[in-house]
Amino acid sequence: MNALVQIVCLVAIAPLLQGTMHSIRAKLQGRPGPSPWQVYRDLQKLWAKEALVPTGTSALVVAAPGIVLGVALTFAALVPPVAGGGATPVNAVAMALLLALGRCVLVLAAFDVRSSFAAMAASREMTFASLTEAPLILALLSGAIAAPALPMAESGGQAPVASILAAGALLLVMLSETARIPVDNQATHYELTMIHEGLVLEFSGWQLALIQMAGCVRQAAFFLLAARMLPGTSGITLVWIVAFVGLLPVVERMYAKMRLFEVPQLFASAAVLAAASVGLRIAGLGAW
Amino acid sequence: MSLDSLFANAEPRRALGFAALLSTAFVALLAIMLHGTPGLVLTPPIEPNVLRLDFGSTTLALPFFALIVLVVPAVAGWGLTRGTATDGFQLALFVLAMLGVLLAQSVAAFFFAWEMMSLVSAFLVGTHHERRDVRRALLSFVLISQLGALCILAALALLGAHAQSFRFVDIARLAPILPAGMRSAIIALALIGFGSKAGLVPLHFWLPRAHPVAPANASALLSGVMLNVALYGLVVTCFTLAGPVPLVWGVVILLVGLLTAITGALYAAVDSDFKRLLAYSSIENLGIIASVAGLAIVAIGLHEPALAELAFVALLLHAVSHGVFKSLLFLGAGNVAEAAHTTDLEHLGGLRRTLPLTAPLVLIGCAAAAALPPLTGFASEWLVFTSFVRLLPAVPSGLAALIAIAIGILAATSGLAALAFVKLFGVAFLGEPRTIHKVAEERVDPSFIGLGWLAFLCIAFGLAPSVPVTLLIGVASTLSGSAIFDPGPLPTLPVLLGALPFLGAIVALAVARARGVRLVPTWTCGSPVTSRSQYTATAFSKPVRRIFGFVLFPDHVEVRDIGASRWFPIRIRYTFTTRYIVDDVARNVAAAAQRFARRTRIVQAGLLRVYLAYAVAAVLILLVIAR
Repeated sequence: MNALVQIVCLVAIAPLLQGTMHSIRAKLQGRPGPSPWQVYRDLQKLWAKEALVPTGTSALVVAAPGIVLGVALTFAALVPPVAGGGATPVNAVAMALLLALGRCVLVLAAFDVRSSFAAMAASREMTFASLTEAPLILALLSGAIAAPALPMAESGGQAPVASILAAGALLLVMLSETARIPVDNQATHYELTMIHEGLVLEFSGWQLALIQMAGCVRQAAFFLLAARMLPGTSGITLVWIVAFVGLLPVVERMYAKMRLFEVPQLFASAAVLAAASVGLRIAGLGAW
Repeated sequence: MSLDSLFANAEPRRALGFAALLSTAFVALLAIMLHGTPGLVLTPPIEPNVLRLDFGSTTLALPFFALIVLVVPAVAGWGLTRGTATDGFQLALFVLAMLGVLLAQSVAAFFFAWEMMSLVSAFLVGTHHERRDVRRALLSFVLISQLGALCILAALALLGAHAQSFRFVDIARLAPILPAGMRSAIIALALIGFGSKAGLVPLHFWLPRAHPVAPANASALLSGVMLNVALYGLVVTCFTLAGPVPLVWGVVILLVGLLTAITGALYAAVDSDFKRLLAYSSIENLGIIASVAGLAIVAIGLHEPALAELAFVALLLHAVSHGVFKSLLFLGAGNVAEAAHTTDLEHLGGLRRTLPLTAPLVLIGCAAAAALPPLTGFASEWLVFTSFVRLLPAVPSGLAALIAIAIGILAATSGLAALAFVKLFGVAFLGEPRTIHKVAEERVDPSFIGLGWLAFLCIAFGLAPSVPVTLLIGVASTLSGSAIFDPGPLPTLPVLLGALPFLGAIVALAVARARGVRLVPTWTCGSPVTSRSQYTATAFSKPVRRIFGFVLFPDHVEVRDIGASRWFPIRIRYTFTTRYIVDDVARNVAAAAQRFARRTRIVQAGLLRVYLAYAVAAVLILLVIAR
């Protein structure tokens, strides 16, 4: 029941989080920027529009947006609920492989539309995903190692340093998963630099609405996941989420997009953080 | 009278081959049904009974019999319409040899069946012996097979000498009192012997050459079943014949497995040949299976029988699941090779239009191999990860660090495997054809029943993993001595993960049908979409090649045909290469062996009087020793 309420809330506020971040980034760049509610309007507009599908494609391209949204909703449901109930530690692997399902479907669609922009983006997306898999799974597991029977947040309270390291690793992975600077740029209009946007270049109208909604939900779920791994009670979890929403636009403002082949270093740092977190836990340094 | 003249007409011969191969599946079924009954003993009248041949159906072999029962009929059905006429008989002999290995209960029986398996598979690999690369692959295959067989023979001989008996029952009974040094020697020999056959790094280099050059149905059995039989040998040695294995050997096997898994995945990710990519993926999966075997040894060493049982179930499930999806993929590769006359991904493309039946079946196989939910690869890989994760709190911190690193490596492996299989399907089946050859239309025939059956198994084992798991628990508990198996959320997990994406696909298709979609050309900055503008397999894996350049050593050769002006070249040809470190080492070792052989050839002068002198010397030395 709690989980159901959580999904509904997450889906409802996911576009608001995205809109707020757009708005903050615009302010930081000295632009008036859109209202935080703009994403809802965009989604509504896109949903009402017809979809253009490239000729000669298979049913995969039509079905892909639905699959991707299904994956995002399931992912949101797997995040341990804020109010009670725990995630079993092994769900970390299920989560990572679930995200892989959504990604692989989009990448196959990119091959199907025969655009080299899409395939180039697909190549980068799969490469980065194969590099983030290890830090993602290790970071998610870290919360569950010290006390397999406990939900993530409770174990976070036991070892604050380890939890902060794990959450940090998760946030670095999230930069890639949600297509943010310095890994990717959501706002780019230049196809050759696109990763996630390039992948969905051929989707339009209601199909694009589904994919964008999926992106918002996945991002919100990542926020909640990282917040749940940090020490604190349910109320503080919400504070963490607000902090992420405020912090990410600042990061995007401060940094430029990294060179493609420097991004793996970022993931290497994520892996080191996650490994350090796991290391602290298994070394039995409970107070940390 | 030769078989050829007996079956001058090819079609009845093909049907007979099919029947022969199918009957081996019944033999496997019989082996399952005869489980628990006293075995068969063939005793030649020689003392001591070194050559006695004992056969019997043991619990540990049951999952492997089941795999043969599931896979062989599909492979046989494929060969009925698509293979060459002699394939059926050769494959039947091959499966019988593998059944012999699984049934063997004495040293001689095991080694006889093992050598038979190696020899028959050598003939399968050498099917196209008119090609030079096939002959080279065959040579390294045979050499490594025989090197491995010698190690296995040495290990079994040591065991037999210790037990003063060559029956596996006696050997297993006396295994706990093996001297420590001897036990280590046996495990090391078994790891080299069985590991070289299972394609464990660094003795894997022959596999990506040998497996792809065999006909598709032979490749399916080589990769899908024989590799598992090789691993069965390692498991039997470690847990029955020479057990309990010291913990440190568990760590060694775990490390070898991890190295194999990541190596296989990395080379699969950058390879651009359909069948060779599948062979590298086999290396990856066998590495995963070996690492879980190592984990099980560690768990037993730490007196955690329940966790060892979990690891065994994961091992067996992944072995069965890999056997099923890899057979499916190799048979699919056979269909591709038949229609397109090539398996080079650079020349394939758009096959979903010409092969509309093969495409969805291969897609299911690829998704299972990429461990995507809710297919069988997901269920088994999830269980593999879970057995690592659950052991983490139970081990001392040094070992825990190793297991945490292992989880990270397995995660990277699964990421790279997903990349490899998305590339495989995306490049070969989607988009536009890249080849200049004409791709033949799909031949719809009964062989698709077999492919469909394997694809059905991929889905069924994925959606209802509790069915195979329940059967495997019984096998696993005999090894670990535990009967507490906690599958966690596994029984419902695949459905839980797969339901919404499946529903989403249905809804998206329904909305598209209701509202209609407008068909437009693909947008590529105004230039037309041609097969030449598409991304290729090599281009797709370029970032991986570059990021992992420190092991792959990517290089390219550029050939410019400049013609009249160097600024307007007529033709530019790039060739991309990656270096295989292990191959280089193997080549050096082979060259050194040849040099050594050439030097020692001096003693073989070919002069009668020299040989007589050797004989006299030998007799003298014997007399001195025996005095």
